[in-house]
Amino acid sequence: MFKRFILLILLSVSLGFLSRHIGLNSHQALAISIFSVSILGTLLFWSFRLSFAFLGAAILLATRTIDLENLIKFSSLEVILFLTGMMVIIGLLKDEGFFAWIVSLIIRTRNLTAKKFVFIISAISMALACAVDEVTSIIFIVAAVLEICDYFEVDPIPYIIISVLATNIGSAGTVLGNPIGILIAAKSGLTFEDFIIKAFPLALVCLLLTIAIVMFWYKRSLQQLDRQIKEFGSNDMLIKLVSIPADRQTKSALYIFALTLLCLAFSHRLDILLGLEANTILLIVPLMAAAFIMIWKNTKAREFIEKDVEWWTLLFFLLLFAQAGALKYTGATDVMASKLAGFAGNSQPVLITIVLWVSAVGSSILDNVVLVAAFIPVIQSFQSLDLNLHPLWWALLFGGCFGGNITLVGSTANIVALGILEKERNIRVTFLRWLGIGLTVGVVTVIIAWVSLLFLPFYR
Amino acid sequence: MKVKEIMVKDVTSISPESAVNEALGILQKLEISGLPVIDESGKLVGMFTEKDILSYILPSYIEKVGRFIYEENPKSTKKKFIELNKIKVSQLMRKDVVTTTEDTTLCEVARIMLTKKARRIPVMDKTGKIAGIVARCDILKALDLESKQVV
Repeated sequence: MFKRFILLILLSVSLGFLSRHIGLNSHQALAISIFSVSILGTLLFWSFRLSFAFLGAAILLATRTIDLENLIKFSSLEVILFLTGMMVIIGLLKDEGFFAWIVSLIIRTRNLTAKKFVFIISAISMALACAVDEVTSIIFIVAAVLEICDYFEVDPIPYIIISVLATNIGSAGTVLGNPIGILIAAKSGLTFEDFIIKAFPLALVCLLLTIAIVMFWYKRSLQQLDRQIKEFGSNDMLIKLVSIPADRQTKSALYIFALTLLCLAFSHRLDILLGLEANTILLIVPLMAAAFIMIWKNTKAREFIEKDVEWWTLLFFLLLFAQAGALKYTGATDVMASKLAGFAGNSQPVLITIVLWVSAVGSSILDNVVLVAAFIPVIQSFQSLDLNLHPLWWALLFGGCFGGNITLVGSTANIVALGILEKERNIRVTFLRWLGIGLTVGVVTVIIAWVSLLFLPFYR
Repeated sequence: MKVKEIMVKDVTSISPESAVNEALGILQKLEISGLPVIDESGKLVGMFTEKDILSYILPSYIEKVGRFIYEENPKSTKKKFIELNKIKVSQLMRKDVVTTTEDTTLCEVARIMLTKKARRIPVMDKTGKIAGIVARCDILKALDLESKQVV
């Protein structure tokens, strides 16, 4: 641990000196150095990464690199509140058995075949990732996959990997799928509708191609599952394995969720209708839904906030956004943007290529929120260079989500799914076993996004 | 009254290297719900309880899945139960054990039990070896006796 700590200090200080050397002022160099501490903190000290974010924010204030007013302004409270509201809604859905119902839907599939199983888990993984978020979604899909694989006595690894790949791809489909979705929407002005029209279809195409790839890649595993299904007969026991007591409260919870999704889908229209600033309704809806939930379930209101909201993650995000804001406030990102644009010869296709591939490769190693938080002020700075930013925002979204499939630490969904697999079945997936299929799917999906962003006028 | 006056001194323990089904056999035979785990050097290294077995055989994600009812026993549970002989006590035991000393008062032990959510607490002697064990029911019996004496 001591060695890692020294490594963190050395790397961040070196980065600061390097920044000074290439002509940045001392505040800009310090902002870069402190942001790198947060990045390295997540890489080297995941379990207490928040401490580095706290320390970084304190140093930024103490050295007057940023003032308090701007630190708060850049902490993107709107994103944090949106995520808080959504976490309360998810808490209610969990309490009312919505997710267990999804699990039971999968394990009750009649006339199961291996191909049908792959289609169902891929489709539900994507749909759930789009409607809730990738981490919540993957827990339930993994639960269903493990029950089915146990019943038919087959290796669950291929199906767990397929679910994770589909979840990461699906997480790009809506604003809700991934924290980077709402972050990009809040900073770019892209609406929920834009995501549905532009991100969802591309994610769907990528999913269909991924299904084709995994069916070929795991041909033998699928054949084995088909043999086992024939041998075991139908999944009668699985059909009646679990039940979810359907009462009025469950239905009410579902209505609230459906209404929330509907309002989110029409948030842009409502903004226009009510003459509000872009994305105001998008941020209001989860807060209103959470408020109604707490009024309705008033005896559990505190529990929803204390247990269902992941304050550890949200506080990290808040301080990370503030530190990324310091990069913008000091003008460090303007310098980086101008150097990057100069390197790309002010060519938009080259910049799209750089943003997409750097975010994809970066997300395969780093938490994509860290990467996107760093990229956002750089992209915002391109505005002064008179560049169309829309394709760059999409490049950041697709790179950040699809890149998560490349390695087994590429996204939180991967880590959560493999963690459950290890705990439940004592099976450890090796880095290389994941990399084979992960890299294939990751590269193919990023290429699809690349070609679409470069050649489809739709994304401009 | 102090813990040393009410603790059970004849403590049955288990080795961390023992198989879980062996530990389960002891729990069933003695009709108790937990055992201290003591290594070769006589050091207390953990507590092993029925709850640890239940947590192992049921899926770890059941709490996260939310509200549902098991209408059948899943195949995985039966399979895990059969495989208990391959699992060592050290793999399932709780390692952060709450302990107390012989001269601790009953109310202090009760406070520890409540705040640390422990049903039974090993009592350590001055050399750091286990001297006894005290359970919630022992505390209640002793407090009951003490209050009657006062009356």
